[in-house]
Amino acid sequence: MKRSLSFVSAILLFGAISYGQQSNPATSPPAQPEAPVAVPSRSVSPAQAVVPVPVPIAPPKPNGPVQKSLVRITATSVEPDYKAPWNAGALQRGVGAGFVISGNRILTNAHVVANSRYLIVERESDPNKYPATVQFIANDCDLALITVSAPDFFKNMVPLQFGGIPALESTVSAYGYPIGGERMSVTAGIVSRIDFQLYTHSSIDQHLAVQISAQINPGNSGGPVMQNGKVMGVAFQGYSGDVAQGVAYMIPTPVINRFLKDVSNGHYDKYVDLALSYSKLQNPAQRKFLGLKDDDRGVLVNTVVEAGPSATVLRPGDVLLTIDGHSIASDGNVELEGERADFQEVVERKFKGDSVKLDIWRDKQPMTVKIEFLKTAWPYLIQGHSYDVRPRYVLYGGLLFQPLNLDLMEAYRPTDLRLRHFFEYFILEQLYLQHPDVIVLANILPDPINTYLAPYRGGIVDEINGKKIRTLDDLARTFAETPERFVIRMIGDGPPLVLDRNKVETARERIKTRYNVLKEQNLEEKPESKSPEQADNI
Amino acid sequence: MHKRLFVTFGLVLVTVSGTLAKKEPGVPTPLSKQKQLALVRVNVTGQSYDYFRPWQKKAPFSKRALGAVLSKGRVLVTADLVANQNYVELERAESGEKTAAKVQVIDYEANLALLEPMDKTFLDEITPLEITPDTVVGDRLAAWQLEPTGALLATEGLVTTVQMTPYPIDVGEFLTYRISLPMQYRENSYTVPLVKNNKLAGLLLRYDSRSQLLDAIPAPIITHFLKEAESQNYRGFPSIGFSFFPTRDPELRQFAGEIGKGGGVYVTNVEPNTPAMKAGLKVGDIVIAVANNEIDQNGNYVDPLYGKIEFTNLLTAHAYSGDVIPFRIERNGNPMQLNVTLEHRDAKDYVSPPYNFDQPPRYYVLGGLIFQELSRQYLKEWGAAWQREAPQRLVYLDHFQSELFPEGNRRVVILSQVLPANSTIGYDELSYLTVTKANGKEIKSLGDLAEAVKQPIEGGFIKIETEEDPKQIDLDAAQVAAEAPVLQENYGISALHRLD
Repeated sequence: MKRSLSFVSAILLFGAISYGQQSNPATSPPAQPEAPVAVPSRSVSPAQAVVPVPVPIAPPKPNGPVQKSLVRITATSVEPDYKAPWNAGALQRGVGAGFVISGNRILTNAHVVANSRYLIVERESDPNKYPATVQFIANDCDLALITVSAPDFFKNMVPLQFGGIPALESTVSAYGYPIGGERMSVTAGIVSRIDFQLYTHSSIDQHLAVQISAQINPGNSGGPVMQNGKVMGVAFQGYSGDVAQGVAYMIPTPVINRFLKDVSNGHYDKYVDLALSYSKLQNPAQRKFLGLKDDDRGVLVNTVVEAGPSATVLRPGDVLLTIDGHSIASDGNVELEGERADFQEVVERKFKGDSVKLDIWRDKQPMTVKIEFLKTAWPYLIQGHSYDVRPRYVLYGGLLFQPLNLDLMEAYRPTDLRLRHFFEYFILEQLYLQHPDVIVLANILPDPINTYLAPYRGGIVDEINGKKIRTLDDLARTFAETPERFVIRMIGDGPPLVLDRNKVETARERIKTRYNVLKEQNLEEKPESKSPEQADNI
Repeated sequence: MHKRLFVTFGLVLVTVSGTLAKKEPGVPTPLSKQKQLALVRVNVTGQSYDYFRPWQKKAPFSKRALGAVLSKGRVLVTADLVANQNYVELERAESGEKTAAKVQVIDYEANLALLEPMDKTFLDEITPLEITPDTVVGDRLAAWQLEPTGALLATEGLVTTVQMTPYPIDVGEFLTYRISLPMQYRENSYTVPLVKNNKLAGLLLRYDSRSQLLDAIPAPIITHFLKEAESQNYRGFPSIGFSFFPTRDPELRQFAGEIGKGGGVYVTNVEPNTPAMKAGLKVGDIVIAVANNEIDQNGNYVDPLYGKIEFTNLLTAHAYSGDVIPFRIERNGNPMQLNVTLEHRDAKDYVSPPYNFDQPPRYYVLGGLIFQELSRQYLKEWGAAWQREAPQRLVYLDHFQSELFPEGNRRVVILSQVLPANSTIGYDELSYLTVTKANGKEIKSLGDLAEAVKQPIEGGFIKIETEEDPKQIDLDAAQVAAEAPVLQENYGISALHRLD
């Protein structure tokens, strides 16, 4: 489930402020809850890794084979530089955990290996370092499979088996390499809560997550959380100590199993999604108005995203009554295997090519509809983080044009209201229909030909020489033409930005040399050298 | 922006470093020579409207300030001081004698107000301040404050800049003196006159205690205000209604058909129903001269007093509503002249009014749903950083109002909050939604809403449609009506709506 789609429910839960608070908004603005941070090991450099108090680790207990399953993963990664996208980016190194599962595979978190260029795997009681490669990475659910090609690596390893969802209050143990230590660490805690959570690695996806009270720290990421010798989840995110303590999250087995099943056909297809927003139907008058029975069933469809699979099937004002035979309660929950869960959990368990059957209520008449999940490419992606991609950009006359996305927003932190609006309302106002890429004049590399153009910075390109520019490819094609000049219109008021093509041509080499620009444009996110499995399938 | 930079003067506490021994023109002649200082204390008690509970006012505030005594028994203060006032009192500096006063004229945009004592003889022995309009950069002005004893406290500073800056209301820009001056903390220093040769040169607008820079409303703006205040019908400073952009970029000049090295600014936007549009100004025109003053590529003309300063000064300090101002423009390289008849643009002429004082906000309570009209005054309830803190959707609507609602002549009705009640179960977490329709009728003001919900639709329902999710809210009209008295009682709502 994408966060934008559950925008309303998110607002319902957190966005609204109570009457009492409202009297003083200046001091208590409607605060979004602090999002949990992923527990990446990246922040831990060897220098920072405080030498642990020398309490010797007790010999492994005979009850679990974890020591023969756990691996320590050291990833060297490159973070793209959105402010100088022609550069390779900053080199980083981090440590995380992983564990062996059936089929000579190692399961870990996507955030441990995302953007990695070189991976080393180590195992307990073996001095060797083994190079590893990423087989599949799922940034939307923060899981990845890696493998080691060394022939004997898996010989003495014991693949771990998966369990189900642990019961509330039951005890679990988390294994990993917190704060970068070289020996395995174990912490224990109880299962505190089972709920949908934002997965902060992508920062737009919400899936089931299990909250545990075990201490989880950077370096625990990707490690197994065990109960009775079985994996109950993968430790992946928590809060920094000053927000909340004793709150850590693991990815539960339904999410893991879905990932393993998805990749079983050789590629990762991502989650499917209804791509709609809904509101609860708890108001008696509204139920009566819609002609519904007083049976606490149904949710009201608010927005149907045109690019999504529901677009030709559902429309605003429809009431969803059942999903694949599960009755949807008026608060949006269904009963799944004896547990109440958000009805979108039914969709969460689907795969590309599957479909879902809905009983709906439209204009006071019952109907049954089928929604087929044929594609999984969403315009939402701009609102989440991207990994293993090279930033797309076009540099022309020292003007750096880049498509709007979360990584760009975080790099520049613009305060421009229009830019923020385009980002926030990209889906809800269906802005992607007109602007599949929102092309921002993100930066200007100063040169005599652009010295008066600073005020245009932050503008969104609308058209050039009278032609609408919808994608970065459009922009690159247009700049490859040979008119006397380019008249670039930005969205909103403001004069056109006028470039004399001949002057730009004469300045090109000068700007490239002065700013050490290796390449004037990149239109492809995926480096060609990577194998198709590795490229996550957009 | 400036509100963040400049703290209210009440917080200032600075030690005096230099002595004022050296006689400068800004320092007044000794008190003995003057019969009575042309300063009075002004005590104000007021109450702002509570936009989050629009049926009530906030707790009262008190301000103590100074007023400059002008001719004809008038006292000049900033509008800021007396906005939302309940009671204004004048107090003689030396004797402590008091009288009630009323606000004669107020201009929130220029931040000026004239007070008039109820007791007409109250200011009789005071020799009023004359106004000196000729302050320039390099002059020294004295800030006049009062010691608790009623004695004068004068601090002198240097005028460093004369420029156009936004005033607190942020409707256009006005001429401003910037003065480097170490102000001293005194209890009643809200409105401080700035004096040159015993004549009024300006009035404190804002002060930054860290940089010791003071911005003053200059005499030309005060004179303009006073001249208009003499007429029966105060209209306010004119507003022209277009935005512009410098033409420094040679490529842009060439594109606009202006090949030479001349001046002028590029017109980027002409707002509907404004003097600029009525005069026929168009986007893409280059404005070459205003009121026969040539303007340069950055939009400055050469003022005989100040040198280069933005041409908007010609349309505010120097012009009045009703004046016809010649604009020399170039359109596609062809010179043209447009005659622009200036008008004042009232706050109510905006889609989202930029300010609202001394008038209660409009609202409409329906069940627990509270409807209000979007205004910047409402957004400012989020404090000085409202542009960041207030709901971004509403800030966006306010900021781009002329682009989003080019037809103007409407309001944006918002569902601002929901008070939990039986009729609004399930809706109680909705807020900041913009209303498009009610009972099928388009909503462009609270009046429209009030009218539309009078007649429930079939089945006795009220249907509200919103731009944002959940798109529709349905109420039982009979339940809403029946529940109203309980709602009023529970939440202390004195009246269910205010539409005047």
